[in-house]
Amino acid sequence: MKKVKALVLTGFGLNCDSETAHAFELAGACAQKIHINRLVSGKTKLEDFHIIAFGGGFSWGDDHGAGVIQALKLKNHIGHDLLSFVDKGKLIIGICNGFQALVNIGLLPGLDKDYTKRSVSVTFNDCGNFRDQWVHLAANRNSPCVFTKDIKLADYPVRHGEGKFIAQKEVVETLLANDQVVFQYADAKGVQANGSFPLNPNGSLSDIAGICDPTGRVFGLMPHPEAYNHFTNHPDWTRNTQLLKREGKPLDQDMTIGIKLFKNGVDYIKNSFF
Amino acid sequence: MISCIEIALKKELRDAEASSLIKKADSYFGINIQEARCINIVTIESDLDLHQLELVKDEIFTNPVTQFSSLKPLDIGFNWCIWVGFRPGVKDNQGATAMEAIQDHLGKIFRSDEGIYTSKRYCLKGDTLIFEDVEKLASELLSNTIIQQFKIFSIKEWDKDIGADVKPAKVILDHIPCFEVVGIESDEKLAKISDERNLALNPRDIPVIREYFLDPKVMETRKEVGLSEPTDVELEYISQARSDHCNHNTFQGIFRYMDASTKEVCIETSLFKTYIQEPTLKLKDKKDWVVSVLWDNAGVGRFDHKNNYVVTGETHNSPSNMEAYGGAITGIVGVYRDPMGTGLGSKLFMGSFGYCVGDVNYNGPLKPPLHPRRLLDGVIEGVKDGGNKSGVPTTFGQTLFNPGYMGKSLVFVTALGIMPSKVKGKPSHEKKTSPGELIIMSGGRVGKDGIHGVTASSESYSENTPAGHVQIGDPYTQKKMHDFLLICRDEGLIPFITDNGGGGLSSSIGESAMISNGCVVWLDKVPLKYEGLDMWEIWISESQERMTIAVKPENLDRYMELSAEHEVESTVIGEYTDTGKLHIKYKDETCAYVDMDLLDKGFPSWEFDAIWLPPETRGLTEPVINSPSDFNTLILKMLERPNISSKEWIIRQYDHEVQGGSVIKPLVGVNHNIPSDASVTRPVLTSEKGLAFSQSLLPWYSKIDAFHMMACTIDEAVRRLMAVGGNFDHIGGLDNFCWPNIQFDFIKNPDGKFKAAQLVRACRALKETCEKYEIPLLSGKDSMYVDGHLEGAFGERIKVSALETIQFSATSVIEDVSKCVSMDPKVAGDLVYVLGETANELGASEFYEIFHRTGLNVPHVDCDKFKVVYKAVQIAIEKGLVASCHAVGRGGLGVHLSYMTMAGGLGLEVHLKGLPMNESRGSLLSETLLFSESAGRFIVTIPKENRSVFEKLFKGMAAGCVGIVTDVHDHLKIFGPDRESVADLSATQLYHAFNKTFGDMI
Repeated sequence: MKKVKALVLTGFGLNCDSETAHAFELAGACAQKIHINRLVSGKTKLEDFHIIAFGGGFSWGDDHGAGVIQALKLKNHIGHDLLSFVDKGKLIIGICNGFQALVNIGLLPGLDKDYTKRSVSVTFNDCGNFRDQWVHLAANRNSPCVFTKDIKLADYPVRHGEGKFIAQKEVVETLLANDQVVFQYADAKGVQANGSFPLNPNGSLSDIAGICDPTGRVFGLMPHPEAYNHFTNHPDWTRNTQLLKREGKPLDQDMTIGIKLFKNGVDYIKNSFF
Repeated sequence: MISCIEIALKKELRDAEASSLIKKADSYFGINIQEARCINIVTIESDLDLHQLELVKDEIFTNPVTQFSSLKPLDIGFNWCIWVGFRPGVKDNQGATAMEAIQDHLGKIFRSDEGIYTSKRYCLKGDTLIFEDVEKLASELLSNTIIQQFKIFSIKEWDKDIGADVKPAKVILDHIPCFEVVGIESDEKLAKISDERNLALNPRDIPVIREYFLDPKVMETRKEVGLSEPTDVELEYISQARSDHCNHNTFQGIFRYMDASTKEVCIETSLFKTYIQEPTLKLKDKKDWVVSVLWDNAGVGRFDHKNNYVVTGETHNSPSNMEAYGGAITGIVGVYRDPMGTGLGSKLFMGSFGYCVGDVNYNGPLKPPLHPRRLLDGVIEGVKDGGNKSGVPTTFGQTLFNPGYMGKSLVFVTALGIMPSKVKGKPSHEKKTSPGELIIMSGGRVGKDGIHGVTASSESYSENTPAGHVQIGDPYTQKKMHDFLLICRDEGLIPFITDNGGGGLSSSIGESAMISNGCVVWLDKVPLKYEGLDMWEIWISESQERMTIAVKPENLDRYMELSAEHEVESTVIGEYTDTGKLHIKYKDETCAYVDMDLLDKGFPSWEFDAIWLPPETRGLTEPVINSPSDFNTLILKMLERPNISSKEWIIRQYDHEVQGGSVIKPLVGVNHNIPSDASVTRPVLTSEKGLAFSQSLLPWYSKIDAFHMMACTIDEAVRRLMAVGGNFDHIGGLDNFCWPNIQFDFIKNPDGKFKAAQLVRACRALKETCEKYEIPLLSGKDSMYVDGHLEGAFGERIKVSALETIQFSATSVIEDVSKCVSMDPKVAGDLVYVLGETANELGASEFYEIFHRTGLNVPHVDCDKFKVVYKAVQIAIEKGLVASCHAVGRGGLGVHLSYMTMAGGLGLEVHLKGLPMNESRGSLLSETLLFSESAGRFIVTIPKENRSVFEKLFKGMAAGCVGIVTDVHDHLKIFGPDRESVADLSATQLYHAFNKTFGDMI
């Protein structure tokens, strides 16, 4: 059977490649970790893949702005390949440092089909520090984003020092109007955080945690869905398991909402390309 | 040409760094800054033209959405401006990535006389700011003169066109490399040279060294390569190899131990062999999961049938005391190289921290190099950048405060790796060098870093002398190397690998060449950060982020190809031989030629006198304190104490779940903010197995007896593992000793004999406890000089010594992570049990510390009795009988019941009457029951329906049902023997106290 092929970038200080590849595998894809320089040298070709994951980490140490040098390098060397990748209807996901890279390349938000313009930024958290915590995310059900199909609420961890989403007021309004805002920080019930810390962990405008391009096929988010690849990743799993047990129910070992996100992407490729 | 790009955040955006500066200026010094802005400066010395400079300014250094920039000084208003930049030779990580970016963007290759340097300037507004305030901020908050320099400008002095006038901080040595021949006519002469050159040769080693070089046979062979008397390179090599750091002379030394009360004398010939090696090797034979111990950079245990895990721990105390950020980041990045250099190399999967510092609010007369508050800030940040940027989760950590650590604070860093048990069909934990293999250095370059440690800090500076003795770790360079080396390993390209840490190439090559029995090293091939290093400096430099690797000549091309692809610098710098000689050359000249077995030439052991004074003979007694009447306030006061209170702010700065294997996190409970007993991680994502990890630090008990300090620390680490579901049959140990100086000196160290006795006793407890609990010591390290000489109010210097401290780490492999348990009570109606007896053991407790008392009844560990309970806890958790489990530690039941109440978000009703008690060491009043720190105890909650099975399991053991979990209220209610209320505190009150001390920190 034909397999959906996912490319996970590695090298230069990226560090979530193993679990991101694992998440794609659990979602039914065949994932390969590819060093950025293999794409630059042409030893590996983007066209051989269906999905590219720009993963988390500290590319170039996050010096001179998170994701900035990575973006520049990719734009310089494989910028055209990336654009034609998007043109062909394939998928790009950027997580944390990858999201920062996508906005610096300009692949996001891709307003007016311009995939080279830097019109939004993900910058230093208002709290002034790196922060690791789990967040609740409310998904925009009207969003064209293919990764969040059938997802209403999701809990993922954030782990960043630069995760505050900002842009000019008009840009934010356009993104909201276009339903390009995919995930917003919320409380456990899905009510938007309205900027309150720590529900909104970084001070992002309009609680924005993730956005997509107008097609919904390029998606970037600060939280880490790949870090919720197993039911024991969730901070409440010991409690929830105990509560289920008392109700006589078995362990909830179904696919996590983290893997579900990747599976949506994989399923989309299966439906569109196979 | 020198150009400066200045970059700042747009005015309308929140400048988090500036906000933090304003906040700290106020809270640390009471200095009121009304407004602050930070400007980043990139100084470029190159032949880039104006167009190119504009291009890199806009495309690389300026974010169009958030920043603005200029090639001229930015016009941002201020009353005062502080500029801070690195001293020459200090690792400028951002400068290095800037060069990489420009190289990629413009295709520009930087010449060796070109470079990029980053610095900052802070624009401060405030009507009341005076020069002295600004200078204080510059020197005590924004810079550390050891690695940085600053300039202060008032608005009057400011020239809008010149700005801060930043010059490149480049190293110019202007020195032609050479080596020297050293005369050794007499012992006195060599001793003098040792002093002059900071060789720190032990006086008793000197005759042995002379005898070797004056041996006619040796002289004859040396003559053939053009050498006569020893060279400085050779003496430095011997000095490194014989140092306490590399050779562990203390633990290999001879101790004459006498118990002053019985006059009994006992000779300890080697603490290492007797108390660490022997028991561990015995256990290795017994436990088939123990794969490799006591010889490599880290110990190796089996994780599953396909993978082994690797564990080691280090301290980085002295450098962190001088430059907290640099010391700590170098520490964590450095310890991460140990697993990379264990066996054929492992992948890092977790790390942990342990900080022991003085009182952060200290305002007495003593002047430590860094105030404890500033030191802690720097250390936290160093481990944050080092750990997070390495992509390794920091899943556990402790922070502890005691005045003794103001002399020298402790920074413990621990690293765990995972590796396939076989590489290309061969065991991965075995490695060797063979004649004909090439010696390769990969990673960073060599500079004057870390040479002779901190002694250099007292030397005077000129504008271009490198400040190399304090380093700044570079996790980015190391992460690239980590990824690269794992690929080389899997392709079978690496027969041997080790890291460059203490002693640099001298240690890594010196030790690895013993296996092949010889080497030739070409020092002129070693890539340098800047020209002008002498041979001995290249040989012993401790420049970071370097590994030494053996590669067979036929694999060199492939190795170099991968190295280039990963942008890791690798250089062939020599060859392993079997000549029996360590042969070092620089171009055509030989600068060292000694026998590989030189270090076995009968160097004498160090010797120590140890005199034990039992606590009773030191005048320690139990204090006289009548029962308190207000337990509510007392419990809240306990929770506010720095050693008990929340350190969430530290833990949240560390990525504790990168790599996706987090099972039990460092913070647990309904609000995710109570410290967990242990962490559990899945290092292999396709497996349901987990690695449980815990640590313990209980140095206070050393005030009474370091024997019990050691026993209690190990016991607590073990109990913490058991509490999350650890397997008692698989517990690996890691001992990190940090001790004050034990070498007696009538004037300089009059209590050295007592401290030596404490060390012997701690080692005895280590062996006894590890044997009884069957813990092989997978790895261990020692740091023996935890003393500081601090300047006081009258110009005097007072020696401040730390408590005798052990950090004990424990590992266990959990078969099925879905069985793991966290410490938060989860369901109303559950029963609360306390396992293990509470005795009158308040000696050196947190409770006594409130009243500035020490006492005598230090907790005792009864391994035989305790382990029966621990095994039963394991069964109870495996069978799913338990809803929550928590090891009782510092502060006793009063504190730990509070933790559980907060963690559960449910009420607890506890009757002290139900506690298993032991009156053999004294009476048990309510305060004893609540605050005694007796070892061996757990608090457990279980569903009611499991009561009979649970009680049957613990039949005959110390287990008492003490109460219930309730949702009627969220209080901790404690009742005394006659059902009278002893304490009643709401979760809100508990939280408030728990977060009072550090709760506003983020």
